[in-house]
Amino acid sequence: MLILSRKSGESIVIDGRIHVKVVRVEGEVVKIGIEAPSEVPVHRQEVYAEIQRSNQQALTRQSVELPKLPLAGPAKPQGEPAKSL
Amino acid sequence: MTSANVIEVEEPEVKETIACCDVRLPAGLLGFEQMKNYLLIAKPAEAPFRWLQVKGNPSLAFVVIEPFLFLPDYQPDIPAADVDFLGLSSPADAAVYAIVTVAGPHRATVNLKGPVVINRNTGLAKQVVIANAAKYSVQQPLPVNDSAA
Repeated sequence: MLILSRKSGESIVIDGRIHVKVVRVEGEVVKIGIEAPSEVPVHRQEVYAEIQRSNQQALTRQSVELPKLPLAGPAKPQGEPAKSL
Repeated sequence: MTSANVIEVEEPEVKETIACCDVRLPAGLLGFEQMKNYLLIAKPAEAPFRWLQVKGNPSLAFVVIEPFLFLPDYQPDIPAADVDFLGLSSPADAAVYAIVTVAGPHRATVNLKGPVVINRNTGLAKQVVIANAAKYSVQQPLPVNDSAA
């Protein structure tokens, strides 16, 4: 892992197009500003951990009784294209 | 007489026809990166739920649902890089499924931050961390009937 020291107001540039700036340091909290092209997704790391945990909880190893939904029934969503996906 | 009987016997079987599609997740699901090939299975009796089952291992599966059925306002913002990866040329190409965590016959939640997006034409899929994930929950309760009907 590359480790750099930065002061408040200083930046890092990644790949010439992603700017990461230390906006402010308040005690243990570091405020970071990120400028990236719109096609570059930027998320807190926790989002990935949250989804991973959710997937692990959702994994079904045997047949389960599924809840009944008020909207249940073989209702087709409107405008579904011909393919059955 | 005989033909009438035949029809009565066959009808339930027709209703139970299981629709099945191959779904390829080259990146796997988060936490399950090694499992890349799935079947999307629809059993009419379990609609609107479907199963995303690990191909070759039917005992490993995820329950999925189209989130728009109960959340018409759901607007997942799919990052451009994922749109390119999936080869989506229009929103109609994309089938969006939320993974369901079944906690019991009367309680289930869905993950709206990381839906599985499938290209309907090719079966290529990815679990997408939507750009507007902060707006949504990984544990959105499903509106279930709470009485044993």
